[in-house]
Amino acid sequence: MTTALLSIGVRAMTASYASLQTTSHNIANAGVEGYSRQETLLATSKGLFTGAGFFGRGVDVVEVKRAQDSFLTREAASAKALSAMDQARAGYLVQMQSVFRTGEQGLGHAISQFFAAMSDLASRPADTASRQVVLARAQDLVTRFREGGTQLARLQTAVTEEVSASVQTINGLAASIAKINKDIVAASAFGQEPNDLLDERDRLISRLSEHVQVSTIPAGDGTVNVFIGGGQRLVLGANAEQLKRVPDMFDASRSAVAVSEGASLRQLDAGALGGGRLAGLMQFQSEDIVAAQVMLGQLARALTDTVNAQQTLGLNLQPPAGTVASRPLFGLEHGASGSIHAAGTNQSASSEYRLEMRVVDASQLRATEYELRSDPAAPGSWQLLRVPADGSPAVPIVPGVTLGIDGLEIDFDDATTGVPIPATDRFLLAPVTRAAIGLQRLLSDPLDLAAASPFVASAPAANTGSVSVDSLSMVLPPADPAANVVISFTGPDPGDPSRMLYSWTRGAASGSGTWTPGKPIPAPPDPDINGFSLMLSGVPVAGDTVEVMPTAFPEFNNGNALALNALGGRNLVGLQELAGGGVAGGATFNDAFVAALVDIGVRTQGAEAAAAISGARAAQAEQARADKAGVNLDEEAARLIQFQQSYQAAAKVLQIAQSVFADLLKISGS
Amino acid sequence: MRVTTYSAHQSAIFNLQQRQQGLQKTQEQLTSGKRVAKPSDDPVAAARAERALAAMTRADAHQRALEAARTVTQFAETALGDAGELIQQARETVLAAGNPSYGEGERRALVLTLKGVREQLLGVANRSDGAGNYLFGGQGTERPPFVDDASGRVVYQGTPGDTHVASDEALSISLDGQRTWLEAPSGKAPPAPASLSIFDVLDTAIARLSVSGASDADVALAVKEGVGDLDAYHAHLLAARASTGEALNRMDQAELRIADGKLAAQTERSGAEDLDLVQAISDFQNRQTGYDAALRAYSMVQRLSLFNYISG
Repeated sequence: MTTALLSIGVRAMTASYASLQTTSHNIANAGVEGYSRQETLLATSKGLFTGAGFFGRGVDVVEVKRAQDSFLTREAASAKALSAMDQARAGYLVQMQSVFRTGEQGLGHAISQFFAAMSDLASRPADTASRQVVLARAQDLVTRFREGGTQLARLQTAVTEEVSASVQTINGLAASIAKINKDIVAASAFGQEPNDLLDERDRLISRLSEHVQVSTIPAGDGTVNVFIGGGQRLVLGANAEQLKRVPDMFDASRSAVAVSEGASLRQLDAGALGGGRLAGLMQFQSEDIVAAQVMLGQLARALTDTVNAQQTLGLNLQPPAGTVASRPLFGLEHGASGSIHAAGTNQSASSEYRLEMRVVDASQLRATEYELRSDPAAPGSWQLLRVPADGSPAVPIVPGVTLGIDGLEIDFDDATTGVPIPATDRFLLAPVTRAAIGLQRLLSDPLDLAAASPFVASAPAANTGSVSVDSLSMVLPPADPAANVVISFTGPDPGDPSRMLYSWTRGAASGSGTWTPGKPIPAPPDPDINGFSLMLSGVPVAGDTVEVMPTAFPEFNNGNALALNALGGRNLVGLQELAGGGVAGGATFNDAFVAALVDIGVRTQGAEAAAAISGARAAQAEQARADKAGVNLDEEAARLIQFQQSYQAAAKVLQIAQSVFADLLKISGS
Repeated sequence: MRVTTYSAHQSAIFNLQQRQQGLQKTQEQLTSGKRVAKPSDDPVAAARAERALAAMTRADAHQRALEAARTVTQFAETALGDAGELIQQARETVLAAGNPSYGEGERRALVLTLKGVREQLLGVANRSDGAGNYLFGGQGTERPPFVDDASGRVVYQGTPGDTHVASDEALSISLDGQRTWLEAPSGKAPPAPASLSIFDVLDTAIARLSVSGASDADVALAVKEGVGDLDAYHAHLLAARASTGEALNRMDQAELRIADGKLAAQTERSGAEDLDLVQAISDFQNRQTGYDAALRAYSMVQRLSLFNYISG
């Protein structure tokens, strides 16, 4: 009899002690992230049958169970992945914004100042000081562009370094998960769940999610298989794959991620990574840095090319003044004037094809890169795609025929050896990507600035009408730099009396055209006269003339400085060619900078908002997980008291059993 | 719902940090006075501010161009005024030469005066703005623009026309010397020349009054024609002076417009990126109170624990 009582007491004490132990374990781990609260499950022992019925035999310790919800755990990990992705991109975008700084320290102000210096030069063309100021402002401008380009390159380096670090961390975590899978299989052999190992694995998966979005599939043996990037296996049972940072297919300064499959490397599609810091880094690299680079490059190229074109049309003061050809003000370092990258996976050698690209009109350049590839629908016929994709259709390119697109001329021949290159080969054309970082000022002598126009125009006093010269600026190299041109008004246009017909002579050459008030002479479609564009005001009458003669005194002439200054107010960035000839749209240099600044500002704002939202969601998901699985110290305190009391009660049972036994001994001993 | 101790602390810390960040952001805005410090703070406002800054820079450049034009025009106006006085003096001298009681000796003295006037006028026509630019340099000139040629005649060795500054309005930094000094309409019918040079007028008068043994009738005719030409030129000079005066007026107007434009741009920039102080201070106080309350609540709640009540 008493043995039953003793046994019940001992079992109750063991059960209470086990519960106390679990509770203490909970208290001890209350501050450990990812720890799941454990609970000792007790069960009533089966009763002992006697004639009088079943007698209870006390309590059994069944198992130690962890409070955990695998759905909430997965949710928390996946929310964490999205949050980490958004945070990584937003963090880098905030840094990138400083390239597009506003206000007096910004590139936009440097552009304004450069053209303001041209206005000052026009006011004092002979003054060396105003020429020095133009050179200094040009240097400022170049410095700002280069700083911007350098900063973007530095961000690219930082991204590359972080991708490497992230890949290493992922490899480490994957190896740990594989190992712990093995340990769990071993530990589960005894039929009980190794709670602390399971917690550790959840924790590792959660940390892995910070770097890359994962999906987990439990296998029957207690292991968990981990997949990334839409189905690529990372951990399978006790085996882990290795990720590797590799150079981008086209551009070695950019990064890509590949997975080793045996001896070969398979590049992962960055877009399929889904989440995690790695996905954020890849998105920043392929969308944001490139966008900033091409916008900055487009502006740099349009500005410097148009200024150079105008500068070289003018006369400088290098002695003898007006006779030395004017040199461009800005230049591009080697490689900055557009580059062509063949994909690393191409099978053709550079001798088997010919691919060339030239900028013909910098004002029409677009902020984009181009991918040349074989048409997937018709392999062997080639097409050009803008990247990052802007929704515009692919443009077919016929080998051997020069393609004119966005201010570029592209020559492509896919079979210089007579055999076409494989249709799987791809090329990346980057006309403006490195323009900002490679910009330089070429002139340093103030006399080299071509402030003077090669021609001056005047209306002789003998005219009877009120026509006078507003401005004359050069738009083309003159056909005859030494010629005197006389433009004679011959009478109103019979078709439209508000317009005047004129004829002109340039030495032996002559021609005619129609003048519309407010429009230049010559206006398209009238042919060029001598490279100039002449604006008149007042009303000419038939017989009036305007003479255009070579500039006799270049040091006093400011015609080209005025034309250079006027460039600042014209739409010369991103012009679009119209189907019927002519161009439309575009923006001024200042407005193009503002547009770029807004683009980056909106990206950053959006990314910050996304980071805030996904951050809050991740915190919520983690809270939900922790609320289910975490430790509440007050609860544990209450349980301590509860189990302490049951332990004391069980001890009392033992004491009573002992005294019952002693009583029995007493009786039998007497 | 269960609240777990670890996540309660974590979320309390997270919220405290959020509040602290908000407080710091408002503090930054208050100390810098700017609501928009980077494009992402408000891309549209940043764009407005940037455009306004470009407009301000342009207005400054226009203002400097206008100052350059005004300096030259003011000098030219003074020069034309001086020329007017000299021509009056020449007119009086020529008139005096017509005095029938004067003999050749007196006329010789007057001719000397006229020669002096001519030299002074040449000086006026060749004046510069003090920075090396000739006021009447036209579209570029040899220096100085007016010289006596081999025959002793004053010629203009520049390009006719005037030079403009960079501006939306036609503002000149040099005047057409040819037209001002050498091409006054004569008002005479052909075959007399249609235009007059002031120097030719003076040279003719000097030559005709210097003829020794000239008859009274010759002298009277020379005086009459000389005074007539001087008057015709003077009228042209007055018109030229009036037009410089009018140009100065236009510049004043243009200056007002530039100043208005700049002020509007400044207001636009300030409106786009500057901080509304009242709003910001109120925000700051709000956040401060919130942060304070959060700290208090946290310190009170974290003291509560069942362990405090279990003793012995």
